[in-house]
Amino acid sequence: MLEALTRRFPGTARPAVDGISLALPQGSLLALLGPSGCGKTTTLRMVAGLEPPDGGRIIVGGRDITGLPPHRRNMGVVFQSYALFPHLSAAANIGFGLEMRGVARAERTARVAEALALVGLTELAGRKPGKLSGGQQQRVALARALAPRPDLLLLDEPLSALDAKLREEVRDEIRALQQRLGATAVFVTHDQTEALAMADLVAVMNEGRIEQLDTPETIFERPATRFVATFVGRAGRLPAMIAGPGLLRAGAATLMAETGRMAGRVEAFLRPHHLQPLAEGMQAQNMLDGRVLRRTYTGEVVTLELETPAGRLISDLPGGARASAAQVGDTLRLGFDAADLRVFPA
Amino acid sequence: MIAYLLLLPAVAILAAGFLYPVALLARISLNRTTDLGAMEEALSLDTFAKVAGDEFTWELAANTATLAAGSALAATALALPVALLIRAAPARWRGVLSLMAIAPLLISGTARVVGWMAILGDRGLINAALLWLGLASDPVRLINNWTGVRIGLTESLMPYACLVLIAGLGRLDTRLEEAAATLGATRSRTFLRITLPLALPALLAAFLLTFVLGVSAFITPRLMGGGRVFVVATEIFDLALQTVDWPAAAAMAMLLLGALILAMLLRSVVARRTA
Repeated sequence: MLEALTRRFPGTARPAVDGISLALPQGSLLALLGPSGCGKTTTLRMVAGLEPPDGGRIIVGGRDITGLPPHRRNMGVVFQSYALFPHLSAAANIGFGLEMRGVARAERTARVAEALALVGLTELAGRKPGKLSGGQQQRVALARALAPRPDLLLLDEPLSALDAKLREEVRDEIRALQQRLGATAVFVTHDQTEALAMADLVAVMNEGRIEQLDTPETIFERPATRFVATFVGRAGRLPAMIAGPGLLRAGAATLMAETGRMAGRVEAFLRPHHLQPLAEGMQAQNMLDGRVLRRTYTGEVVTLELETPAGRLISDLPGGARASAAQVGDTLRLGFDAADLRVFPA
Repeated sequence: MIAYLLLLPAVAILAAGFLYPVALLARISLNRTTDLGAMEEALSLDTFAKVAGDEFTWELAANTATLAAGSALAATALALPVALLIRAAPARWRGVLSLMAIAPLLISGTARVVGWMAILGDRGLINAALLWLGLASDPVRLINNWTGVRIGLTESLMPYACLVLIAGLGRLDTRLEEAAATLGATRSRTFLRITLPLALPALLAAFLLTFVLGVSAFITPRLMGGGRVFVVATEIFDLALQTVDWPAAAAMAMLLLGALILAMLLRSVVARRTA
């Protein structure tokens, strides 16, 4: 749990981390998601004790650890560069944390073997990190962090050094391992797919603050702020005016939306999968005619860029859908729910 | 082609200023000295045999090696905390601190020795303090003997050790120490288990470089030894300019050169092994 955690770097105008508070349930995985420089890594380093906070508290399992040095915090950290000890074998790397905690040799050997088996590297126990591939190094780093059974597992962009194909594989492995061990974990990433795919909770960060802390589904479907709507996922963006309670005027169209108490100039966001063609005779809360400007075929998904009376919008269709055969210049009838149109003050 | 032409001046200077004198020295070392002390043109290894057969030569060699090894060890050990501090310092201070560490190189060796005399002499800073505090009743002899030479040589070698260690430790990722800390290692255990083993190649390189420099040191043993300290370099000087036995001086110089080349070869082998 974090309470109003703050960190200022000397000689900078705005704090790198500006009063962050959050609570993380036992056994869950939290993703800190944001662009570079948003303070996510600084937050992680403060939790690990590698960076002193200028304010706020860090509480783990009811214990205030804010003032503790890193070696007394019982955290497992996986660094972006892995930071494996180059002069020690994979097994010695994994055993290092146990050794520092004074675990007896016999038990240490058993637990290192267990950790090696957990990440499937039993045969490579004797290898030095320099003789391991990127994916193997990553697994050693993970095993090393997990072996001492930390209260909290902290991962700093653990996948960024891997190539795209391996990244997905390791991503699922980390998630499976975390769930199997019931470990509570915090994961820093700038990759929204990673965050959405792995985490139980996602905290979207921007300029040292948390913009939204929610489940991946809520973050994606119901972005709470304009920043979240633009940073996470794609969306068609419509400049609009509030026309009345629950109504807004975008271009030549009047649309139903959840407008709350907003007034005046706004901006509305619509995710591509919410904008779907309507079959003959079907109705929707909002209906628009769209002329196809561009069609992008990626196999599983066909993305249409459409010119509608409300403005330019994007629609993602399943590759096999009938409407996905639409060609540039065709006109489709499209619909979407009022709740799917996210409106923010401009 | 132009690249090779640009090399020409350096090659010319090296050939004229280094290779030619060394060749000349090698030639002289093959000459003989008559019983009257005159040099006799010859092509023999008699002088080498005479120098190598002299017990005093081996005593000198042992003195020199012990002095150089001790001072190199001390210089490397003293430079390590300096290099560690510079590595841990904020980036904008690193340049200034590095410059300070190697600043002694900007002062001539002779001037530095004079400075040491003011500090280590019988009425120097240290003895004045010891006498005033009542820790000693007579001045402690800190100069014009082996102690003085050891102190002076260690100090003159330190900047080189710093230079090597700053470069060597700079490549050491600080994340490794952070990782050790998160795994429960205290600062001292992190140092012993992570920093020190990884710094070993740099420490070895610093030791070997300062050892080689210490073996060939002349000014410090000459000026701070007060005529009581004899090493190979001072003996070569005495043979050449006091005894005027050029073949013997040349032979000893050639032997020293050989030993130093061997030490350098060892250094590069060690460097390759640990890289």
